[in-house]
Amino acid sequence: MFRAEPLVKIRLLMLASEAPDAALELARFGTFSPAQYAPPALTESPADAYREAWLDAESRASKLVERCGSMGELVIPEGAAAPTLADLDELNTWLKGVWGACLSAHEGEARIQEEVRHLDALDETLSKLERLNVDMAQLLREDSLLAVHIGSLPAAAVKRVGEALALAGSLVSTFDRIGDQAYAVIAGPRDRQDEVRGLLSQAGWRELPVPHELRTHPQAARAWLGEERKRVEEMNVRECAAMDTLRGQYRSGLEEARLRVALGRPLAEAASVGVRGRGGLAGLSGWVPRRDVDELKSVLEGRFHGRYWLDIEAPTREEAHKVPSLVSYPGWLTPFVPMVKSYGVPRYGEFDPTLPFAFLYLLLFGAMFGDVGHGAVIMVLAASLLKKFGKVAWVGVAAGAVSTVFGVFYGSIFGYEDIIHPVWMSPLHHTTKMLTLAVSFGIGFIVLTLLVNARNKYTAGETEAALFDSTGLAGLLFYLGAVGGVVSAAGGADLATPSWMLATIGITIVAIYKWIETHASFGERVLVTFIETLETGTNLFANTLSFMRVAAFALNHVALALAIFTMANGLGTAGHWVTIALGNVVIIVLEGGIVAIQALRLMYYEGFSRFFSGDGTEFVPLKLVGVK
Amino acid sequence: MSAYLNARVSIFSGRLWQPGEFERFIKTPDAEIGDLLARHGLSQLAKGYETPDPVSLVLRVITGWLEETQVLIRPLNGAERRFLSYWTERFEISNVKTLLRGKMTGERPAALIARLIPMGAFGRLDVHDLAHAEDTSELLRRLGAGPYAGIVRHARRAFEESHDPFILDAALDRGYYEGLAHRAQLVENTAGASFRRLMGQVIDRINLVWLLRYRFNYNLPPAQVYFLLVSSHYSLSASRLRGLAALGSVEAIVEALPETLRAVLRGATDLPTVSARLENLAAQTATEVLHSGAPAIARAFAYLILRERDLRAVRAVLRGRQLGLPLADIETAIYLPTEGNA
Repeated sequence: MFRAEPLVKIRLLMLASEAPDAALELARFGTFSPAQYAPPALTESPADAYREAWLDAESRASKLVERCGSMGELVIPEGAAAPTLADLDELNTWLKGVWGACLSAHEGEARIQEEVRHLDALDETLSKLERLNVDMAQLLREDSLLAVHIGSLPAAAVKRVGEALALAGSLVSTFDRIGDQAYAVIAGPRDRQDEVRGLLSQAGWRELPVPHELRTHPQAARAWLGEERKRVEEMNVRECAAMDTLRGQYRSGLEEARLRVALGRPLAEAASVGVRGRGGLAGLSGWVPRRDVDELKSVLEGRFHGRYWLDIEAPTREEAHKVPSLVSYPGWLTPFVPMVKSYGVPRYGEFDPTLPFAFLYLLLFGAMFGDVGHGAVIMVLAASLLKKFGKVAWVGVAAGAVSTVFGVFYGSIFGYEDIIHPVWMSPLHHTTKMLTLAVSFGIGFIVLTLLVNARNKYTAGETEAALFDSTGLAGLLFYLGAVGGVVSAAGGADLATPSWMLATIGITIVAIYKWIETHASFGERVLVTFIETLETGTNLFANTLSFMRVAAFALNHVALALAIFTMANGLGTAGHWVTIALGNVVIIVLEGGIVAIQALRLMYYEGFSRFFSGDGTEFVPLKLVGVK
Repeated sequence: MSAYLNARVSIFSGRLWQPGEFERFIKTPDAEIGDLLARHGLSQLAKGYETPDPVSLVLRVITGWLEETQVLIRPLNGAERRFLSYWTERFEISNVKTLLRGKMTGERPAALIARLIPMGAFGRLDVHDLAHAEDTSELLRRLGAGPYAGIVRHARRAFEESHDPFILDAALDRGYYEGLAHRAQLVENTAGASFRRLMGQVIDRINLVWLLRYRFNYNLPPAQVYFLLVSSHYSLSASRLRGLAALGSVEAIVEALPETLRAVLRGATDLPTVSARLENLAAQTATEVLHSGAPAIARAFAYLILRERDLRAVRAVLRGRQLGLPLADIETAIYLPTEGNA
């Protein structure tokens, strides 16, 4: 729980024809994370073509599943084998055919929709032309010297088209607008129509075919439109039936395609990292937990009966930064994992701060927002959101619970300080004690982070940094000495001399280390050593004081409640209770939010930044996943 | 923030190639090329510049330019930020055209993706998804639902009516530059005359080169040519463009241009010469703006124009050397003809 599981690097060599099954077996195994560590002799990339074919198949299958609607959960049979490249090519051909059929059916639907819109447009056009009292038959005479076009174009282009048409001796006149489409009549000399046609095709002009029936008496045109609507409706019924037939016809094939795509995914995904090979051999490489090695061997033996070669190697210290981190958490801790991961992933071998984060974050939140009523409200609200937000809502439930406990300690309920007796103390009446406790907590917190950092540096092979750097043991020595010195000066202890000696030794070691570590000219070394040593002191001092905010927010909580009570007391009964209710809502939402952020800030900047590099790589195992 | 951007531009301008430097670059021995490129902030080209893959060279050149643009954009906000971001989107529009052409010729998705310009932080398209579209229609449909819907919608409609790839390309280009001119107008209100001069030359150059190409290379009728040009409020206004589109020869068009352009183009009779002289004019203006006390956004834009021009020349030299072309040919390729030597 405190650090990533020990991993080993594996290189699995097998016949290239068995690579899809090997990848599938590793995906079923569940804890293999692919990485590129193939022997240098394997210079070819045998799985690239497989990946390309799989991507095509996956893309087509996803589109088809999306069109077919929900197909239920994909069940992957226990002993199913992975598709070969030939299988995928065959699948692609089939999927392409089905997609073509679906597309033409879909486009048939789209055509009908368009026809409906077109008829609507004709309808509207007809009504407008009727109102204009234009004789369409005369207007569209083909033996006239004037060529006339009726149609639509993007409204934004009308001005430009008009200007351009003027160059060809034509005119444009709009007579309607629907959405961003303008309906227009274009008229010009028939002998310059070639120029006009080129321009119109460029301008996105869509000719509005005025059928013969529409070039007659308006009543006849109306009757024709009615007939057309009936015909389109019948076409629609036929298209719907055809779509249903297609769904039925291809459903089982599509189920099979989903299965094949799911079974092919492991090798395709491993190929994105790099599956190497040569001749008839293929090599898969990556990481598995050390504890699973024996099980992996027996799985491979059971499946390939000796037709493979497995090389297992522990990671060297130099490659530790490339090793992914696999950390197992108990279920109750998992809601806090995303909050840590939003800062970063722990490096392999680095201390994983999730557990202390969970405890300390809740502790800080409770201390800053201690109130029985407000805590209970947060707890109930978060619990009601469990379904919507899943396990992350447990953070809210826990924060509310801790807030309630601190409310009992502080004797505070919905801001009232005189209803329950504080089990511990009221922040408002023990300001100095609260501040002292907050800073003491900060000192303990910083000592802990310095110790963890020293440990992280040591395990990463940076022993000198662990011992002598400002964030290592020398820094800790200085910090403890300085704290002792300040406490003695304030009269809290009688350890001034040994404390300042300790601090001097610590800071001297840090300065010497900085001097040795700085590779620059003499002047620059002096400057860097001086500045960085000074920074050690100022940073630790500032970070310690930063924890005063814990006490400040505990006081702020009471002060905000007092302000609301003061306002409420100046009003009548109804106004009083409305103010109290609204005030409490403001406290929960506004102050609760601020405190949640402040607690997170303290954890990230005063804690994580001191010891947690957060630049690790997450362990992403190959998994069997169906087409979405 | 403008002080920061000004400082950034001044630092970056040290990377520009000075007159005469390309001459030395062409003759520099292979072993010293890496150092020379690194001195001009092109270490990404210095590494493995001899790679014989021309696509990779172009992509690395553009990637370098995009990275510098990203640094310049960082302190900007509002209309200025939107303008410079949009300026980079030319390359994404070029990706859109590559995707469309690839789909028309049935190119494999993987090969298609490898040819696309890596847009990095500026990328707004899911190119992997788009490359897997079944055909041009599906691709256009998907593009029409994406960030370039405004540009693509019109191009799609024009293409569906005509099925002519030229119409598609022309509509995409026009859509892009209309958007650029619109965004520039918002910046011009605050960035002053120098920015307007730069933008004017970009749009005027585009319009004039397209006009000549469509009119005399493709023999399109004046009405169609005019429609394909970018609506402009610079020296080549809509009414002047209409007049130019109706003229029948390059010489007549040059004579009908405003005085500044006419002086530069006098004697030019073909499109490459016109294009080269206009580009030289734009570079002169950009150099003047860069070394003036113009607003930071104008200086940044001027730097990007000059840097892009330099990078094109660097690419030409490297490509020429890869192909083992004679030095004189490489010189011809990068020394754009001027009034004197055209």
